[in-house]
Amino acid sequence: MLKILAPTIMLFPTIWLTPRKWLWTTTTAQSLFIAFISLTWLKWTSEAGWTCSNPYLATDPLSTPLLVLTCWLLPLMILASQNHMNPEPINRQRSYITLLALLQTFLIMAFGATEILMFYIMFEATLIPTLIIITRWGNQVERLNAGTYFLFYTLAGSLPLLIALLTLQTTSGTLSMLILQYPESSQLDSWGNTLWWAGCLIAFLVKMPLYGVHLWLPKAHVEAPVAGSMVLAAVLLKLGGYGMMRVMVMLNPPPQELTYPFIILALWGIIMTGSICLRQTDLKLLIAYSSVSHMGLVAAGILTQTSWGFSGAIILMIAHGLVSSALFCLANSAYERTHSRTMMLARGLQAIFPLAATWWFIANLANLALPPLPNLMGELMIIVTMFNWSPWTILLTGLGTLITAGYSLYMFLMSQRGQTPNHIMGLQPYHTREHLLMVLHLAPVILMVVKPELMLGWCY
Amino acid sequence: MWRKLFTSVPAFIAPKVPCRSFKISSRAAEKDFFKDLDAQLKAFWDKASKALPGNDWSPIELTPGLPPERADVVIVGGGVVGWSIAYWLKMKARSRDGLRVLVVEKDSTYSQASTVLSCGGIRQQFSLKENIQLSLFSAHFMKNINNYLGVINEDPVDLQFNHSGYLFLASEKSAHIMEENYNTQRCLGAKVALLSPSQLKERFPWMNTEGVALASLGLENEGWFDPWSLLNAFRRKAVSMGVYECFGEVTAFKCAADLAITPDGDVVNIKRIKYVNVQMPNSLEYQPVECTIVINAAGANSGKIASMLGIGLDPKESVFNAALPVEPRKRFVYVVHCPDGPGLDTPFLIDYTGVYCRREGLGGNYITGMSPEETEEPDISNLDVDHEFFQEKVWHRLAHRVPAFEQLKVSSAWAGFYDYNTFDQNGIVGLHPLVNNMYFATGFSGHGLQQSPAVGLAVAELILDGSYKTIDLRAFDLKRILLQEPIMESNIV
Repeated sequence: MLKILAPTIMLFPTIWLTPRKWLWTTTTAQSLFIAFISLTWLKWTSEAGWTCSNPYLATDPLSTPLLVLTCWLLPLMILASQNHMNPEPINRQRSYITLLALLQTFLIMAFGATEILMFYIMFEATLIPTLIIITRWGNQVERLNAGTYFLFYTLAGSLPLLIALLTLQTTSGTLSMLILQYPESSQLDSWGNTLWWAGCLIAFLVKMPLYGVHLWLPKAHVEAPVAGSMVLAAVLLKLGGYGMMRVMVMLNPPPQELTYPFIILALWGIIMTGSICLRQTDLKLLIAYSSVSHMGLVAAGILTQTSWGFSGAIILMIAHGLVSSALFCLANSAYERTHSRTMMLARGLQAIFPLAATWWFIANLANLALPPLPNLMGELMIIVTMFNWSPWTILLTGLGTLITAGYSLYMFLMSQRGQTPNHIMGLQPYHTREHLLMVLHLAPVILMVVKPELMLGWCY
Repeated sequence: MWRKLFTSVPAFIAPKVPCRSFKISSRAAEKDFFKDLDAQLKAFWDKASKALPGNDWSPIELTPGLPPERADVVIVGGGVVGWSIAYWLKMKARSRDGLRVLVVEKDSTYSQASTVLSCGGIRQQFSLKENIQLSLFSAHFMKNINNYLGVINEDPVDLQFNHSGYLFLASEKSAHIMEENYNTQRCLGAKVALLSPSQLKERFPWMNTEGVALASLGLENEGWFDPWSLLNAFRRKAVSMGVYECFGEVTAFKCAADLAITPDGDVVNIKRIKYVNVQMPNSLEYQPVECTIVINAAGANSGKIASMLGIGLDPKESVFNAALPVEPRKRFVYVVHCPDGPGLDTPFLIDYTGVYCRREGLGGNYITGMSPEETEEPDISNLDVDHEFFQEKVWHRLAHRVPAFEQLKVSSAWAGFYDYNTFDQNGIVGLHPLVNNMYFATGFSGHGLQQSPAVGLAVAELILDGSYKTIDLRAFDLKRILLQEPIMESNIV
């Protein structure tokens, strides 16, 4: 673990001491190097469930895929931000990359934490660099509102979690995940215990986000600069899913009347947010709402506490992280050229950017869960586990899949196909950097087709 | 309730030092104290209500009236053409926040705007098919204006549309042109009738038909209306649909440029506007508005806006770099009072000498004027009226045609600018080849008001659909100026 964490912390001297001409090159190279080394975690040698451990940090089959995703994403974020940060003064560029690296450090420590309280502290700590990125480098005045929503929704959800964790510490004497996994089933016989159960989950449901508490996400995703959107969509949402999965082991067995409302909200959210996507005109808002839709499926899968549910959730989280981040990068390339997020004005792009249209095509196909991509595998596993939980859910999940296919195709056809309008004839061609960014996003998704067991978690 | 508590204070609490007694003894002092208390509570409540949601207080003091930092379409010019385009763009965008449109207008009082200084006439008697179609659509729009521009819970729009029609008089020399135009107009659906001098005399006995060979009268969809009402109707409806309005002056454009080589071998810069700098009135503060499309609907100032982009500054660079041939031309309008003048069914009379006249209101007032000769264009630095022009040029021609006008009194006069297209006096709609994202909708040379609803729809279709769907305005494209192929009207006033 330290072999990844130490180079990430050494990114800070790299950022501040490199000469201006080499700043972006060296930071990208160093973060790419860290990403490649993190791939070694995927080789699962231990039988004991947790490896690479020291007293505070360890990896297990649940956290490994998310850790690799986090490390993989940092070079991609730096690649994506290079263009829009170019006109800024050098120290501001350094601050920006510092914030990204700081976020990375907190995320690695969060996913690798063995003690739930350390996970909680890192979970909260990730809010700060993200807030600074959104409010300082966002594009519009609404970013202040977005930052406020983002911060206070998450905080309001996570303060009950702190109380619940401290209660757990006093009753069971430990907060280490290694020990808490041994079952001591929680008897939810009193109101206090019920509230404790809810308190453990609410923070993660707000972060996922669950449909009823999802309002922060469209605002934050849209107002953030591209690196902020990427990290929000790809990793920060998964913090919620990961936290839920960790905490679920001690919330066993789930009482029907407590999981029922959350599962129904999640499933209903898939349909509702999918329908919003169908009539959305702003490209980034469409991708943000599609994130809510996919994460609703993940939340429902985790709440059933079955092995297929967990496996489906993890694989959908990883696949969605990569694909959503890819879509945000594509939307940003279009935005940098036309200065508009409206799909009505930046349409018919296939005629002028054919290779980028290929990336759009693959990303949208992945978004609509085309077989054999891992998005479908995850969705199928969750749909099957929901069917097992209750046969009626097939109506909601089936309709959700249909609507997802609808809006993904709508996004592709609106932005790429059709006649190119006259006012976007003189746009700059795509840079190699942007093509590289897309390949680095989409190649892992395609490679996961051949070895999905890397991402299936404990239950493989 | 607290009054009872405060009116009686025990003696031991009251201080012994000689000062005003704690005990409130007089009625007036008591009232003062409680009025103060009430005022303080009210002040406290006002301040606290700022923290409640729904209030627009913000800790960051922004200049009021600043435009948003980003807009999809920026329309330069808040006249009737600009607001019409804004309205149609929002109508065609399917959802409310789909397209962010910003209209930038320099003058909040509209004191020099061509729209409000116009006579407000609308006619279909043109010779170009596009002009006829534009006016026909606009007349249909204005007859059903509340279906288009009605806002719920607001008063209905009243344009005061007088359907009296236009009456053109032709001399021997130009009678054949009038007949050709009449055929074109009838083919396109305009309701026009040709009158011989005797029919003219029968219908309008107050007219002196000497020298008139043929007359053409518009029977339907022609007349005059109140331009201020139309402008405000468009503006009210557009603002209700979410169009942003900003009063400020466009001072500069920030562009990105790429070099390109034309077929002739010249090297030109193709520009793409990234930001529009909008300067606040009476202030040095400006806001760069990031935008995708800019529409130049600035009327008489369109040429100035175009030159900010370097269009036409170096014509030898390439044939593509032709300047926008729109400049302001001043025209005078005189209000005259003649109690024995023509009656209420007087059409908008336009004589072959160039003088025109129409009824204004019901009190025997008329509006009249004339286009000056090319060589005698008035000075455009201000909007002062030249009364000598009326005395020397207009009056005698008017009195010759309408004998009752020999006895009249000029009650007032004003002047306004035409956005005059010096090339061929017809509108310019479309993109410039050297600026990738600036659309033009200007140069209508006095017909902008009557054609504005249709032009707005055409520009919105061009932007959002890629081509014209309702009325084909490809003939009005800028390339006719580059290729030096004018499309001329046969009759103009």
